[in-house]
Amino acid sequence: MVAFAVKRLIQSVFVMLAVAFLAFSLFAFVGDPIAQMTGVETSLEDQDRLREDLGLNDPFVVQFTRFTGDMLRGEFGYSFRTREPIGAMILSRLPATLELGTVALLISLIVGIPAGIYTALRPRGVISQSLLIGTLIGVSIPTFVIGILLIFLFGVQLGWLPTYGRGGTVEIGWWRSSLFTAQGWRSLILPAITLGLFQLTLTMRLVRAQMMEVMRTDHIRFAIARGVPWRSIRYRHALPNTMIPVITIIGLQFGGVIAFSIVTESVFQWPGMGLLFLESIRFVDIPVMSVYLVVIAFFFVVINLAVDLLYVAIDPRLRVKESF
Amino acid sequence: MFRTTFPVAALALSTTLLSSLPVAAETFRWAGTTDPQTMDPHAVNAAPVLSFLNNVYEGLVRRDPEMGVEPSLATSWEALPDGAGWRFTLREGVTFHDGSEFNADDVIFSYERAVSEASDVRSWFASVTEVVRVDDFTVDFVTTAPNPLFPGSIANFMILDSGWAAENGADLPARDAENHATRNANGTGPFMLAARNPGIETRLVPNENWWDTAGHNVTEAIFTPIGNPATGLAALLSGEIDFISPIPLQDAEQVEERDGFEVLAGLETRVIMLGFGHDHDSLLYSEETTGANPFHDPRVRRAVAQAIDVETIDRVIMRGAAEPASQLVPAGLSGYSDDHADRPDYDPDAARALLDEAGYGDGFSFGLMCPNDRYINDEAVCRAVASMLARIGVEANVNAMPVRGYWDELRADNFDMYLLGWSPGTFDAEHPIRFLAHTPTERLGTWNFGGYSNQRIDALLAPIQSEVDPAARQAMLDEVAGILQEDVAYVPLYTQPLIWAMQENVDVVQRPDDFFMLRWVTVN
Amino acid sequence: MLTRLMRNEGVWLFTRSPAAILAAIATLAIVAGAAFAPWIAPTNPYDLASFSLIDGLLPPAWEDGGSPRFLLGTDDQGRDMLSSILYGARLSLSIAAMAMAVALLLGVGLGLAAGYLGGRFDAIVMRIADVQLALPAILTALLIDGISRGILPREMHDDLRVTVITLAIALSLWVNFARTARASVFVERSKDYVSAAIMMGQHPLRIMLRHILPNIVGPLLVIATVDLASAILLEATLSFLGVGLPADSPSLGTLIRIGMQYLLSGEWWILWIPTVFLVVLVVAINLLGDFLRDLFNPGMR
Repeated sequence: MVAFAVKRLIQSVFVMLAVAFLAFSLFAFVGDPIAQMTGVETSLEDQDRLREDLGLNDPFVVQFTRFTGDMLRGEFGYSFRTREPIGAMILSRLPATLELGTVALLISLIVGIPAGIYTALRPRGVISQSLLIGTLIGVSIPTFVIGILLIFLFGVQLGWLPTYGRGGTVEIGWWRSSLFTAQGWRSLILPAITLGLFQLTLTMRLVRAQMMEVMRTDHIRFAIARGVPWRSIRYRHALPNTMIPVITIIGLQFGGVIAFSIVTESVFQWPGMGLLFLESIRFVDIPVMSVYLVVIAFFFVVINLAVDLLYVAIDPRLRVKESF
Repeated sequence: MFRTTFPVAALALSTTLLSSLPVAAETFRWAGTTDPQTMDPHAVNAAPVLSFLNNVYEGLVRRDPEMGVEPSLATSWEALPDGAGWRFTLREGVTFHDGSEFNADDVIFSYERAVSEASDVRSWFASVTEVVRVDDFTVDFVTTAPNPLFPGSIANFMILDSGWAAENGADLPARDAENHATRNANGTGPFMLAARNPGIETRLVPNENWWDTAGHNVTEAIFTPIGNPATGLAALLSGEIDFISPIPLQDAEQVEERDGFEVLAGLETRVIMLGFGHDHDSLLYSEETTGANPFHDPRVRRAVAQAIDVETIDRVIMRGAAEPASQLVPAGLSGYSDDHADRPDYDPDAARALLDEAGYGDGFSFGLMCPNDRYINDEAVCRAVASMLARIGVEANVNAMPVRGYWDELRADNFDMYLLGWSPGTFDAEHPIRFLAHTPTERLGTWNFGGYSNQRIDALLAPIQSEVDPAARQAMLDEVAGILQEDVAYVPLYTQPLIWAMQENVDVVQRPDDFFMLRWVTVN
Repeated sequence: MLTRLMRNEGVWLFTRSPAAILAAIATLAIVAGAAFAPWIAPTNPYDLASFSLIDGLLPPAWEDGGSPRFLLGTDDQGRDMLSSILYGARLSLSIAAMAMAVALLLGVGLGLAAGYLGGRFDAIVMRIADVQLALPAILTALLIDGISRGILPREMHDDLRVTVITLAIALSLWVNFARTARASVFVERSKDYVSAAIMMGQHPLRIMLRHILPNIVGPLLVIATVDLASAILLEATLSFLGVGLPADSPSLGTLIRIGMQYLLSGEWWILWIPTVFLVVLVVAINLLGDFLRDLFNPGMR
């Protein structure tokens, strides 16, 4: 088990290096940072000098080695666009994304699990059918259209909720949180729903499928035959068996939520990492893009690692297969 | 429609308010598409930065609502004898936001900072050899040749406090890592920087000790960048922001019709035009025409100009808010040539005849490069141009791309024809001649991607820059405008509109350079 | 076994499910419209000379100011919306189908091999999958676009925009297939029939193709349907983020991207008609996916 964990950790480092490499090689193609950093009237000589100063004329290998070297030393460099230190930049945007992702995931669980159970127990009911089709339509509309629709409905027409940004935030150390003010929560609702809708549909369908599967298993049938009350069968016997695979998959989805928040953040002007990343692409802010990707890769790697270790811990049979 | 050619109405209103200021406490929130990337006035020569910082810092001169030059930190200026430069008399009793005195040392320090290698605004001082301190409140800018437009050309040259910069290690603009001036500011302007949260929010508060009479009634101003146009509009309509610039053209009418909102539409000084690959030996994006470049023939270029129905582009794509253009500068700008105010008529038959004459009666295909996030509806305009050219048998393959890669492609000569917008930074017709019409060199013609070259225009540039007599200068500008039109070096399409939207109770002044001046804002 | 199921039970079930029938009709209608677009569309939106800016922004025929020439109105260029949508569906569906096919082949191939061979190969494939998951689709698109720009001559690049976006979508989708295939191999290969086949000395490739693959066709088909739907959406989203197709090749995604500019302007048809069309298509495909899932997991009935 320990050996397995160590091996996986070493592999994880390679995954992150690979992501960094891919990210970095991308930048040759995104555009010219110099054109975005200088004004119209800047002479070509001045542009060249800036290019030289930033090390953009160095061979790719030199640039990449310098980048990874700095990263390993914990130096993330400076943004081309704002000249801010990138570590601080990402750190200041991280809470917004994490809070949005967590709340979105929570919404999807709080609504998705009961809805999934309900639709599994009454598969032919009108409510079940409309829930299933309604959420399906929900995930069939592109996220950016949903977001804008919600903004115009709740923000403009009804005037209930803010249309953009994080609203009231409270600083706890370096962590800027929207979870401690009413205004912050009001700002959080629409983007969290937009981001969570896909997960909600997924969770609901997963729970429904698992629940239906479990209800068919022998031990439930046996319980029914024994005359155990329905209520007890559903919630004491069936539900716990449903939850284990559901929770694992949802854990894996969290990384996806963080990565997918790019679109939601851009629609709601939510000042998280996704928005920062999109702005960085727009301004060809190479160092910020690289660091963002490495951070995202880190999330995925940690979550995958945790899930895999969990599996191995739960199911010893897997140990044999992972013996390498 | 919502058309007002110039913001005269808003201006009149704000000037009458000057005398009887309402004293209500007002927080003013405004939004734009792009966050100013730095608070350092010399680090980046870009409109979002200069526009924003003009509220915090000030130059020796400033521009009034009609772009006229008026005194700011200098009370007066005069040309030195023999055109040796300009003498500025500085305003006395001005203090920076931190309370320190403004004097000639700050001007000289700021000049040296602005021409340093780390600065992005060096080109403003290309003709300046040195700045001489005459006394505490007089400085001379010594120039290589007479430069009649010099005072106006440095309206965005902002003065920093030398002591503050030295104390905080901000002697030079940040080049690599940020320095104190990247997020902090200490100017003399009407507003002080209260909080800076890059990419999220920037707060300003009025400078109570400002030397000029404050024409605004804002007690706090908060700027938020909102990148998505629909989100920005929603924020305005929900009342979360008081003002936004720009809003999409197509939404202007709907916003105007809603109760409680106002749209201010004017014209920017930016002319949108088509450029050709003059110095390309052959077309790059063509299947049939290899080894030849039809655009070498002025008749083909004229055919392009005559095949494009600018009026319809204006009506449908620009919603009637643009103004057809005949030259590289918009009508009415300093140096605009009244003798060449007519653009070629829209006449597809004549265009076809011209193509026939040039030996391209069967048409040809070529590549049209186009940005898709730089100018208003830029991609739609390119597609419309392609569709109009198709009617005279010329097939344009539109290649639209984000601006982040666009200039790169143009510099690498990857085009047969391209779309370009040009706003003269000096608000004078000389500017586009220097950047777009002069034969490309390291310093001149740097945006003349197609390599258009005309010896007469090259020869006229220096005399235009130094001619003191307005009539003689205009004669030369007229000649250049004539040559450019005769040659169809570019096809000017239209002057780009400027669409601002705000709550009805907000009064602002829309300046044609699209700078947003908080000192002209009143909230009723 | 699969064919029998499809032939008897599947058909029987299908006729009992109104949702599936509706979905199938909608999908078939759209696919047919897309396939025959060149013959049934009033105009060809790729032919620049066939439309004129003068006809720009006309509302659908039934509205005031509409013209019978343009049943669903025109867009900002004067293009007929109906034609654009039919051609758009054609492009979107081919991109999604191609991307899905590439993802399926790549994912199943790698997944089967990883599951069967195990060991180092498995570890490498799964770590590549991790890298892929960490790269959002928009980045994959940028990366492939950039690389193709870098290594291919520029004349070819414009023609390759469709290929680039197809590959980008395929690369964002293969991981699901790979994981499913790999997991199924783990389950199946411990079963007796596989052990028997191994003992009989059959070639591993043959075992995988003849014995393991048929047993995971069900789940794969379900994923494929759902992914077909997400591929269509992904194309639209990439267009929205500005890394999609150029506006002059209409796909449902680019039509919606252009339409977003008219959200408030009063010209509702430019956004809403393609959006409704896209939603109907995606919902229909998803419903078919649901039906297939129920078919292959009898427990869910």
